[in-house]
Amino acid sequence: MKKQLVQNQKRRSVIKGIGATSLLAAGGWGFPAIAQNTPLKVGILAPRAGIAGTIGECGLRGAMFAVDKINKTGGIGGRKVELIIEEETNAKDTTERFRKLVLQDKVDCVQGIVSSGVSLAMSPTVEEMKALTIYWDGTSQDGVKETIPTPKYLFRSTDNECEAVMASLLAIKYYKGKFATIAGINPDYSYGRNNWAAFQALLKRFGIPHKVVAEQWPKVGTMDLSSNIAALKAAKPDLIFSSLLFADLPVFMQNAHAAGLANGDIKYVMPAAGFQQTLMKKEFTPEGIVFGLNTLDFNYPNASPLQKEFVQFYYSKYKDYPNWEADRAYFAMQIYKAGAEKAIKTKGGGAWPKTEEIITGIEGIEVQSLGGPGRMRGDHIAEQTFYQGLTTHKNKYDFVTTNPVDKKFSSELQKPPGMDFWQWIETAKITL
Amino acid sequence: MTAFIDIVLSGIFHAAVLFLLAGGLQLVFGVQKIVNLSCGAFYALGAYFGITFVNFSIQQGASPSYLLALILLAGTLIGLVGPLIERLLRLVYQREEGFQLLLTFAIMLVLEDLIRMIWGATPMTLGNISMVYGKLNFASTTLPVYKALVIGSSILLALALGWMLQRTNFGRIVRATAENRRMSEALGVNGVWINVAIFTLGTMLGTLGGALVVPTSAASLDMISEVVVEAFAVVVIGGLGSMRGALVGALIVGLLRAFAVYAYAELEFLLIYLIVILVLIIKPSGLYGKAAE
Repeated sequence: MKKQLVQNQKRRSVIKGIGATSLLAAGGWGFPAIAQNTPLKVGILAPRAGIAGTIGECGLRGAMFAVDKINKTGGIGGRKVELIIEEETNAKDTTERFRKLVLQDKVDCVQGIVSSGVSLAMSPTVEEMKALTIYWDGTSQDGVKETIPTPKYLFRSTDNECEAVMASLLAIKYYKGKFATIAGINPDYSYGRNNWAAFQALLKRFGIPHKVVAEQWPKVGTMDLSSNIAALKAAKPDLIFSSLLFADLPVFMQNAHAAGLANGDIKYVMPAAGFQQTLMKKEFTPEGIVFGLNTLDFNYPNASPLQKEFVQFYYSKYKDYPNWEADRAYFAMQIYKAGAEKAIKTKGGGAWPKTEEIITGIEGIEVQSLGGPGRMRGDHIAEQTFYQGLTTHKNKYDFVTTNPVDKKFSSELQKPPGMDFWQWIETAKITL
Repeated sequence: MTAFIDIVLSGIFHAAVLFLLAGGLQLVFGVQKIVNLSCGAFYALGAYFGITFVNFSIQQGASPSYLLALILLAGTLIGLVGPLIERLLRLVYQREEGFQLLLTFAIMLVLEDLIRMIWGATPMTLGNISMVYGKLNFASTTLPVYKALVIGSSILLALALGWMLQRTNFGRIVRATAENRRMSEALGVNGVWINVAIFTLGTMLGTLGGALVVPTSAASLDMISEVVVEAFAVVVIGGLGSMRGALVGALIVGLLRAFAVYAYAELEFLLIYLIVILVLIIKPSGLYGKAAE
């Protein structure tokens, strides 16, 4: 309890004064003068420590970039945006911080959440508290089954399985006929298990003969993977599928390389490797890996001017390159802005729109996110642009990038509203 | 056969690191009668400081081939936080075990936040530097030389500890203090100094463990909780306060885990805790622990 209090006091940082001049600019925006003196408060829940800390930090930077941009151009409906940041830790504590954001800080919207374990547990509270919430990367699925089929206040990210579906399709496209035995090393929770199952289901769907020779399920955050690597080595697979996504992924690759498992003989499929891209050094990460960058490839040659501006800002400020969590956070903020402004226009001025009116505004709306176009479906599930490709060493960095890069919109990668995921895999028109 | 060797080697490597951590726990409990929950934080501290120290040294012109020496030096240097922390523990030496546990838990939280303040939340690695020594090829398998050096270092440290405790005057004093503190103090032993020395030594074993493992792994805040549970399993199996128990317990846990992962990955942790339960039922004091009087 004491730890939690200390954390709340210490880690909470209210981002004030972002774009302080925005109020001046707001006068020329064209929106009616709606409560312009009060800032719009957006609560953020993001991991700040541990193996997911890097991802949360990147998302937070994306959100701050979005807010800065929004405030410089007049805010949302003339109101500047202020972030109230809380830490995402375990499901129980994060739900408590969510309550605090809603009840004590009285935020207008909550955004964030990286872990599916947290988002799944928090979703009923979101609906119960009637607080408009947009997840960056969490879903409300138990496995692949939707637990809140008709959410009112909750908007969530694309299905987790999008990443696995695209990586599986690329594995079939590039490796068909080059493997017979497969092994998996995936994190031991629903994300890892679903991804591994989706990969096998797609191999079956496309008639690719395969034999599973090993399945490894390291606990999330396990940094000593020597035993798992020894087991994989003993199984002698032609292909290894791994949806490790935290700091354990570069550790795995480094140790696999040291054990002789990364000398080019074995194919690798890594749907979520983009989170750790800058740690996937060329010296131990081979070329030709199916590598999931998902909704943001910072190095994409045909990137939009918006993405180029962001990557330049990110590197000059943080001396690092962003991963897709920045895009998710940017998308969440822009979706909220677009929905709120649509609601204001629909009302034709007067009082600030009610939460329910903003929700209606968000449904079906499209925005330009960092990685490309995105939209929010009527069932409150996001659709975004995905990037995955084969790793290459031909770049100016000390880590791998991708070339060629495949680009797909998530409508090709996730089940349509109301449909069962496994049934969709069996029946959908899926193209490689 | 190759698979068997790979699995045994991975188990021994894990055991080598676990031994250092559990050895520190055992030493502190044996002499000071304190169950040190902050040992995982020392392990993480060693890992983070190891990365900083190695990077700094290389920037200053040190050759990467000095990696092992640099890592051992880093682990030893950061272990010198021991006396500062021991000063805090003096507040609870005479208190009930509950207070001692709470204080060491609080120290762990403080150290965790200090690490976060100094190094940030982002996991850190040393890249592929551990491969600077190359690989050993034998019996159709390969082992990075660095891992062999870690195993060797751990064995040497175990032997040095054994020699120190059994063959030196300091060791005799430590054992006498562990056996009967009041009597040894009555005979002129400086109990305060013994506490400082032993706690620092225990801390150094933890920080050395973290520093040694990090070139093949990553430093992250989660490593605090990840390793502490296994270290306590080692202690329960080996017997609280016994260095020999720490060695045997670490080998049992390391090898069991490696074989479980190979045979049936889901058993990875279950098997360890089944053994813990079995030991608690059959021999509650552990394999080498003394039964409570």
